[in-house]
Amino acid sequence: MTHEPLLSVKDLRIYFGLGHAGVKTENAIKAVDGVSFTINKGETLGLVGESGSGKTTVGRAILRAIEPTGGKVTLTIDGKPIPVSSLSRSELKGVRSHMQLIFQDPYASLNPRMTVRDIIAEPLECQNYGSREEIDERVRQIAISCKLNVEHLRRFPHAFSGGQRQRIGIARALVANPQFIVCDESVSALDVSIQAEIVNLLMDMQEELGLTYLFIAHDLSVVAQIATNVAVMYVGQLCELAPTYELFHSPKHPYTKALLSAIPGVDPNQKFAPVRLDGEIPNPANLPPGCRFSTRCSYVQERCKHEQPAWREIASHHMVACHFAEKLDAGDPVENARAKPQPQC
Amino acid sequence: MQLTLIKSVIEARVTVTAANDPKGVTMNAETLLEVRGLNVLFKTDEGLITAVDSVDFDVNRGKVLGIVGESGSGKSVTTLAIMRLLPKNGLLNQASQINYRRTDGSKVDVVKLNHNSTEMRDIRGGEISMIFQEPMASFSPVWTIGNQMIEAIRLHRKLDKHAARKVAIEMLEKVGISNPAMRVDQYPHELSGGMRQRAMIGMALSTDPSLLIADEPTTALDVTIQAQILELMRSLQQEFNMSIIFITHDIGVIARVADEVVVMYLGNIVERGQTVDVIHDPKHPYTKGLIAALPDWTKVVHRLTPVGGDIPSPLERPTGCPFHPRCDSAIPGVCDKSTPAEVFVGDSRRVSCILYKDETAQA
Repeated sequence: MTHEPLLSVKDLRIYFGLGHAGVKTENAIKAVDGVSFTINKGETLGLVGESGSGKTTVGRAILRAIEPTGGKVTLTIDGKPIPVSSLSRSELKGVRSHMQLIFQDPYASLNPRMTVRDIIAEPLECQNYGSREEIDERVRQIAISCKLNVEHLRRFPHAFSGGQRQRIGIARALVANPQFIVCDESVSALDVSIQAEIVNLLMDMQEELGLTYLFIAHDLSVVAQIATNVAVMYVGQLCELAPTYELFHSPKHPYTKALLSAIPGVDPNQKFAPVRLDGEIPNPANLPPGCRFSTRCSYVQERCKHEQPAWREIASHHMVACHFAEKLDAGDPVENARAKPQPQC
Repeated sequence: MQLTLIKSVIEARVTVTAANDPKGVTMNAETLLEVRGLNVLFKTDEGLITAVDSVDFDVNRGKVLGIVGESGSGKSVTTLAIMRLLPKNGLLNQASQINYRRTDGSKVDVVKLNHNSTEMRDIRGGEISMIFQEPMASFSPVWTIGNQMIEAIRLHRKLDKHAARKVAIEMLEKVGISNPAMRVDQYPHELSGGMRQRAMIGMALSTDPSLLIADEPTTALDVTIQAQILELMRSLQQEFNMSIIFITHDIGVIARVADEVVVMYLGNIVERGQTVDVIHDPKHPYTKGLIAALPDWTKVVHRLTPVGGDIPSPLERPTGCPFHPRCDSAIPGVCDKSTPAEVFVGDSRRVSCILYKDETAQA
C-alpha cells in the first residue's frame, strides 16, 4: 500500500450562524471546530462519534456540499494537489467527479421517478461523458461490479429491497471513477444480514479500484472491520485518532474508552459494564471553556475545566486530545475498578 | 368480491391453525400472556400480505422475552396485535388467541375484545404499556411532558390532578432524570433524545403495568445512551417485577436484556429458547447466519459473512420454508415444498427446520 496522502484536512471549521446575526464567532454554533487529519491513498478513515458530534458535517464540508467557515481541504489527484476548499463554483465542477458521497438512507436517496439506469447514469451525463451508447456501456459495467442484475436497470427504485437500493447508490457513486468516497452512515439503515454484504462490497471495490474512503458511522463494530485508521469525534473536535487495532485495544481518551465499553457484545456471558457518562453533552453554541468532554469525564481535574487540551501525538500515529492521557492507564484506581472490555483475539 | 376472497383465505388458515394447536387454552399460572396461532394479514392495493403467520409464544411473569428479527419479520406487527393497535387494513384472524391474565386474576382473550371497548382501553396503557422506537415521535410536541404523563395516569388510576402530578415527578426521578420537578413542565423538544426515551419509559411505567412492550427502544439512540437505557430497564423490571417483551434487530442488545429469545423471519418463529443457549448454539440456519453476520470489534476479519440473498418482498412470499431461498443447507424438492413443523431440540429449545428431528419424540 502506498503511503502518499490523498486527502488532507487542516483546521477545518464550520460554524452555523444563529438567527440574523450572521456567522460571528461569539454566537455561532461551532459544529466543527478545528479538525485536522490526512487519509492515505487506498486507505479508510473511520470517523465515529455520537449524534450531533459533527461527523456528517465534516464529510459534507470536504465535498463542499456545505461551505466551510475556515480551514483547508486538499485532494491530491495524480500527484497534483487540488485546493478543494478554495475553488470557485465553476472550478469545482471538474473536481466533483473525483469525490463522491454514498448516503445513509437507501429509501430517501434515490429519486422514485427515475429508472435505475438513469439514476446511475446521472453523474456521467452531468460531465458530458459521451454518447448514449457509451454511457449505457459504462452503467452496465458498474452495475455488474456492484452485483446488480443488468436486466433490472429499467425498473424504478421501489421494486428493490433495501440492500439492492444501497448497491444502486454505490454504483451511482462509483460510475464516474472517483478516487475519494465519503460513506455517510452507508450501512446503518440496513439489516444485519444485508449490512455484511454491503461492507464486503465496499471493501472489494476499494481493493479493485484503489479507492479511498472516509467512513462515517456510529457503529464501532462495523468501523473496526473496514477502517485503517479511526478518528473519534466529540462535539465538533477530534478527541482521538489512531490505527484501528491500537484504538480499539489501547484507547487513550476517556471518551473512546466509554464508547467502547458501551458496545453490547454478542456473548451474554461476557461482562458488560459500560462506563457511566453522567452529565450533559455540551451545547455547541455555549461550550465549556476547557476540555469539551470535561462535563462528562469521570477523571476530570481542575485543569480540564479551564485549559483546552492540545492535539498531540502520544505514540507513533496515535493522536489524542487529553491532558492526562498517559496517566489514565498507569494504575489509576478508578480505572482498575472498572471492568475493561476484554479483547479476544 | 374481494371480501369473500379475504374471508375464504382467513377460513382456510383457521382450520390450519386449529389443527396445529395441540396445547388448547389451558393457561399456566406463571404465564402472563399466551399467544396461540396469531395470524395477521394486511390488505394492500397489490393484494393480501401475510405479516404474521401462526405465531405462538408465552410471556412468563417477571421475565424478559426478546423478539429478534430483521425488517419485515413481523415482530412489531405481533405486538401491535397484542395491543389491538393494528392499522385499519390489518386483519387479525379471529381464530388467533391472545390470552392475557389480568391483575385481578381473570383471563381474557384480547382478540375477542372490541379494540375500542372499555376493557381493552383499560388493559392498553393500564396493564400493558408500550414504548416506541422514536422518542421524538411518541410525545406530542404541543403538551408538556408532565401534561402527557398526568393524562395517562389519570386515565388508569383514580387520582386527582395534584396526586397524579406527584406520581409523574416520582416516575421521572425513578428513570434518572435530574431535577424532575422542573422537567415535568418542559416540552419534549427541550429534552435530549436519551432523556426523552427515559421520560417515555417513566410514562409507560407510571400506570404500574404488568407487561411492558418495548419496540426497538434503543435503536435511535447512541451507544453510550443505549447502555444507560438498557441498564435502567433491567433494574426497573426487577423493581416492579414486570414482564417485558423486548423487540430489537440487534442480537447484542438481546444478549444483555432477554431471558428468553424468539427469532422471527417473515412472520414465522424459526427458533426459540433461553437467550444463552440460542446465542451459544444456534440451530436454525437463519439464526446461525444472523449471528455470523454481526461484526464484532474484538474479532477483526478480512471479510464479513453475510446471509446470502435479499429479504423477499412480502408479496412474493416463498413457498415451503420461508428461509429456503437464502439457506445454504436447503434441500431442493423438500424445503421449497413443505413448511417445516416446529420441533423440540433439547430443554425448552424449539426450531422450525427440516434438518432437526424432534428429540422428545425419540425419547
